[in-house]
Amino acid sequence: MGRSGWQALRDDPWLLALVVWLPPLLTGLFIAVFASGLPRDLPVTVVDLDHSTASRALLRQLDASPALDTAHARASVKEGAFALRTGDSLALLVIPEHFEKDVRRGLSPRVEAYYNAQYLLAGKFIASALQESGADFAAHAGAAQRLAAGQHMPEVLAAVAPVRPQITALYNPAMSYARFLVTAIAPAVWQILIVTAMVLLLSRQLQREGLPESGPRRWRLLLRWCLPLTLVYWVQGLLMLGLFRHFVGWVPAGSVLILVPALLFTVLAVQSIALMILALAPDTVRALSLCAAYLAPAFAFMGITFPRGDMPALAVFWGNLMPSTHYVQLQVAVGDHAAPWSALWPSLLVLLLFLLPLPLALRALPSRMVAS
Amino acid sequence: MTRWWHAWCDEVRHVLTDHAVLLVFGGGLLFYALLYPLPYHRNVPGEQAVAVLDHDRGALARQLVRWVDATPQIRITAQPRSLYEARALLAAGTVHGLLVIPEQFERDVYLGRPTTLSYAGDASYFLIYSNIVQGLVTAGTTLTVQTQVARALRSGENPARIPGQVMALRVTPEPVFNSSGGYINYIVPAVFALILHQTLLITAGSVTVKDRRRRAAGQMAAPPGMALMLRGLLFVLIYVFFALLYFGFFFALYDVPRVAPPWALLGVAGVFLASTTVCAMLIGYLVSRPELPTVVVLITSLPIVFTAGFAWPAQSLPAGLDALSWVLPARPGIQALLTLNQMGGGLAGVRDELLVLVVQGLVYALLLGKLVQRQTKKSVLPS
Repeated sequence: MGRSGWQALRDDPWLLALVVWLPPLLTGLFIAVFASGLPRDLPVTVVDLDHSTASRALLRQLDASPALDTAHARASVKEGAFALRTGDSLALLVIPEHFEKDVRRGLSPRVEAYYNAQYLLAGKFIASALQESGADFAAHAGAAQRLAAGQHMPEVLAAVAPVRPQITALYNPAMSYARFLVTAIAPAVWQILIVTAMVLLLSRQLQREGLPESGPRRWRLLLRWCLPLTLVYWVQGLLMLGLFRHFVGWVPAGSVLILVPALLFTVLAVQSIALMILALAPDTVRALSLCAAYLAPAFAFMGITFPRGDMPALAVFWGNLMPSTHYVQLQVAVGDHAAPWSALWPSLLVLLLFLLPLPLALRALPSRMVAS
Repeated sequence: MTRWWHAWCDEVRHVLTDHAVLLVFGGGLLFYALLYPLPYHRNVPGEQAVAVLDHDRGALARQLVRWVDATPQIRITAQPRSLYEARALLAAGTVHGLLVIPEQFERDVYLGRPTTLSYAGDASYFLIYSNIVQGLVTAGTTLTVQTQVARALRSGENPARIPGQVMALRVTPEPVFNSSGGYINYIVPAVFALILHQTLLITAGSVTVKDRRRRAAGQMAAPPGMALMLRGLLFVLIYVFFALLYFGFFFALYDVPRVAPPWALLGVAGVFLASTTVCAMLIGYLVSRPELPTVVVLITSLPIVFTAGFAWPAQSLPAGLDALSWVLPARPGIQALLTLNQMGGGLAGVRDELLVLVVQGLVYALLLGKLVQRQTKKSVLPS
């Protein structure tokens, strides 16, 4: 009887890393990347052409926003624009001359603001922080003006904020990027690790031991090779959810039990894909290249950052060919929306569809491989 | 001279006969250039489905709903009768946002009593959420301003002062460099540089491992220093061609802004690719099997994306990770290319990044030299 997958894990430190310690390590890495939850202290260059009490008050208001760091003053618009173009700051704010006077006269002066939309996430974040702080400042200044014009306090309050907006971020009340991104990136990474480990394991076994051409021994051997990975990666998936729970505030709204089989089906689906790829390209380097082409962009196609509803049909189709897309849909449906069972079982079923070509792949898998 | 020529021919032959490398050159790089931008062909997300729960049902509420529907971010698709019904729509993903108009909304607004409009968005998807909130806030602000102006006029205030009372000052941030705020302009320039970086690590790395194997098996070969120099040159030349294809043809195809002078872009891309090639050959000496550079690339791709500064602000990275992200050429390379070609920062704007790339290249070369020395010595000694 040939050696099992466990033995291979013990013999090959790369395989051991891919299966045992890289999954939690990489999840931990992404938890660390987004540890601040929200972008903080983004550099804003300020060009104050007014140098007045009002302009300084506006700057204080902006600096109070945790998202902004306005300690990057420049004397002229030209210098400010240079700082923006070279990426030294991510936004440029120009307080015009006569700012204070115009505020007092009720002329509603315009504060020019530009943000770097090349760095789209940071840029949009700065833009909304600037807008919000500006509106707060405007509300105070407007109230002061009305009081100065002799209006009474209740009247002033109603006039300044007649229709108050109350904005609720459903399912992620703190709008934490850690929760938003880590819970989608980690499954994408986990999927990459599974497919890579499978290709490495199978090529190694096929190079060293080989398989019988057919017969029950061929199936038994393959099972002995692959099953350990199935089990360990399933546990790794559960551990991943545990890390989400403890470090990024992922508290599932629905029953997390459904994700237990979902994780198992995802591991099996990815393993099935690895077998197919190796059957198509029985060469380790080429097979890994195909895995890279196929699954490396999985994160972009799952629709968490850019909505799937706005993707062209081809991109939606390509996304559907990846187990991660279906798994993450399930995770969002269970974790955030607390969706009912009727909305969940189709995704579970789709994950099982990835196993359909498995018998064909198992048959097509070469009995032996030579090292690249 | 003929020794150099023979060594050069060897290097070219090794690349041209390596099927795995040719697969990347002939198929991979084209495939990636078409695949990565595929999800973002619409560039900005379109109108998102939103439900309105209207407890007021007056003329002003209907006006607000029309304004909301008219924003480019929102399409009103449902008018549920209860909060329970609205919640079910949100949970099923039929709508991604909800606007609640309170009872007596119109009366309160006209009487000048404070009232609250509730907006909710599905924050499982941040882009959808921010679009919905932006649309709802825009419509809400329009309503506020209009009713305030109307009331101020009715109460006979000085019309010249009304703008200042309604909005004491205006801060309306404008996007620059990617003025449409589109995803293509955001993702393509950075990810294309990353694709060049990663495929270069795979190809030059695996070719180097295979070369080491041939040497270890005792096959005749040029001295390692000579071979590495020529291989480096060969890969830089090949990748300058791909850089032209990516930053020239494909950027034009995707209509990505290209503001750098061509010679400056070529120079900076050349330094980036040279540093990456030396890094690839170093990896080729650090790992023992030709598939392992690909494994390294597969593991590092997503960590690079989120630590290179374009997808997540580098200012928000923990200090340790920020430092770590300067180890590979990806971060300085991507930053330099974005600053130069997308933001028009000029060579003065990428001085630091260029310096880092050069220092990296030298350090990699030094380490590579040490490894080559050690391994050559080992193979000379009888084992």
